[in-house]
Amino acid sequence: MEDNLVLSVQDVSIIYQVARGNVKATNNVSFDLYKGEALALIGESGSGKTTVSLSFIKMLPSAAKVTTGKALYTREGKTVNIFELNEERMRAFRWQDCAMVFQGAQNAFNPVLKIKEQFFDTAKAHGWRKRKEVYDRALELLKLVRLDPERVLESYPHELSGGMKQRTLLALGVLLDPQVVILDEPTTALDILTQRAIIDVLKEMQGRLGFSIIFISHDLALAAEMASQVATMYAGEMVELGTVDEIFYESLHPYTLGLLQSVPRLERGQDELTSIKGNPPDLIDPPSGCKFHPRCDFAEAKCAEKKPEFATYEKEHKVACWFPEKVIEARQGLWEKAS
Amino acid sequence: MQALPAKSQTQPFSFLEKIWRNYTLRTVIQSIFTVWAVITFIFFLVRLMPGNPIEIYVNYLINSENLTYEQAYNRAASQFQFDPSASWLEQYFGYIGQLLRGNLGESITSTGTKVIDQIMRFLPWTVFCVGLALLLSFVLGMLFGMIAAYYRNSWIDNLISIIAAILGAVPDYIWGLMIIIICGVQLKWFNVGDLRGTFDPSLQPGFTFAFIFSVIQHALLPILTYVMGTVGFWILAMRGSTTSTLGEDYVNIARARGLSQGRIITAYVGRNASLPLFTLLAINIGFVIGGSIIVEELFVYKGLGSFLFWSITQRDYTTMQGILLMITIAVVFSNMLADLLYSRLDPRVRISGDS
Repeated sequence: MEDNLVLSVQDVSIIYQVARGNVKATNNVSFDLYKGEALALIGESGSGKTTVSLSFIKMLPSAAKVTTGKALYTREGKTVNIFELNEERMRAFRWQDCAMVFQGAQNAFNPVLKIKEQFFDTAKAHGWRKRKEVYDRALELLKLVRLDPERVLESYPHELSGGMKQRTLLALGVLLDPQVVILDEPTTALDILTQRAIIDVLKEMQGRLGFSIIFISHDLALAAEMASQVATMYAGEMVELGTVDEIFYESLHPYTLGLLQSVPRLERGQDELTSIKGNPPDLIDPPSGCKFHPRCDFAEAKCAEKKPEFATYEKEHKVACWFPEKVIEARQGLWEKAS
Repeated sequence: MQALPAKSQTQPFSFLEKIWRNYTLRTVIQSIFTVWAVITFIFFLVRLMPGNPIEIYVNYLINSENLTYEQAYNRAASQFQFDPSASWLEQYFGYIGQLLRGNLGESITSTGTKVIDQIMRFLPWTVFCVGLALLLSFVLGMLFGMIAAYYRNSWIDNLISIIAAILGAVPDYIWGLMIIIICGVQLKWFNVGDLRGTFDPSLQPGFTFAFIFSVIQHALLPILTYVMGTVGFWILAMRGSTTSTLGEDYVNIARARGLSQGRIITAYVGRNASLPLFTLLAINIGFVIGGSIIVEELFVYKGLGSFLFWSITQRDYTTMQGILLMITIAVVFSNMLADLLYSRLDPRVRISGDS
């Protein structure tokens, strides 16, 4: 298993320096990503999912700073700390090793260049100058995302629909055969049928090309479908990490449970939906102890005093909570009809 | 059977509609109409100005040669091919008739000189001087505007923006005056009198080094003045345009794609940010013909602008009309050019059926 480790994120913290103080956007996040694996990061807006992903390609806004941690990337036996790459090596690293497909591909392409030029641009930036080869590879990838390849390559971006652009961006994303593809809500702003198509295409591409995925989403159903591992993030911290089954059927953190309870399901009535009370905390001056305690139904005095460790509960399943037993008790009945 | 006559009735109507829908044809028709409306307006406007060419010349003769009004009038009337008693409408239709035959007429005050010849004599100097200045101003503005946008909120941006705002706020003729008074008269960096005109009159025009040097020397100050007066506008326009382009997703994603900084600056930021500026440039080309009247006057640069000014003081109706017609056509034409250019540069506005 160790041989297949692609990305090992260790204890990463990121702050945004703003006038009011430091926004602690990401705190001590750690996870391992293996070859061909898909990790989903789920959580509310502002929970630090995108921030931590952007740090892997050094695309954070200038106000942001990585304060602690390492991100070790391994390709062909060589391991580097991403945060220590210089500007030129980072430029080469981007897209060739780690591609990021951003949310909302509507504006992802330069409006004055044909799609094929943008494929050529990307290849050329990484030293691949044989246009014929690039063109053939682009044809193949666009076929994989079920588009009419010749027509798309000869088009300008405005001549493609939103779903087509998103699929074209996916094809462009794997042009250079990256090991890691970060998908930041790749299906937001698309209709449900296009979402479906994109997810299918993604799974097929991953099966064929074997890259690893970091999938950022607040759509639990999509995360469940895409990912093998799921991490729940809250207020910049990872609060639970486990396999899909562990997270969805054996959740140990009250926040994960809250998220699951707030999703409507076909076999249940509307009245059983519950939302998580309260609002996400202020990240400049976060609550003491466990950051979730002001919104937690199970919180006790201890939760406000001391921060729980992010520790292994069983096997690979990790959680940061003082009272996972209470969650186990509360989750009874959540899936009874479903499973 | 009953439908047939109805169908034949709609035929001429749909034919007209087709003409109207044809983009190029419609633009041409609109342009011709615009030119006609402007020349008509100009024709009557110049005649509404107090005085006429004969009166101006009569006053001049009375003052300079001590003639009586009677004598002066007879001499003026015999010299000028202009009948002030002819009605405006008569003059107007005569003028339009001539125009339709491609004839701009003869100058009223310089008898026997064709207006078109006069224009062709002065036009090249203005196109050279103001045209070069416009291009220079545009290129500098794009460059500094982009630099300011790239380093926005840093001291470089603040410096460029403040200078641009000052340059843009003060009219070009004030800069011209300042150059003449401070650099020429006070500091004596150059002799103001020597730099009058378009070239040193002692030199024979031709492709000699001395002549070309003299031409550049004489154009330098008007160009500098024009650039100072306009570059601020281009800097601020480019700065704004670049700033908003830098925030676009495709620029960010180009960075994530590992594209080199050079490629991003040129093909991704520069090309998109300069789109609206090229339209403005094309429109401004139209105003080059009109020149910068005050700047040309100030440096006694014999271009079309100062010639227009002279013909206005002389109330030389036909010359004024000729020059203003040229300006009108240039502005209308450059607007068409702007349309065309934009559709070439931006694939999103390409007219359907065009590609």
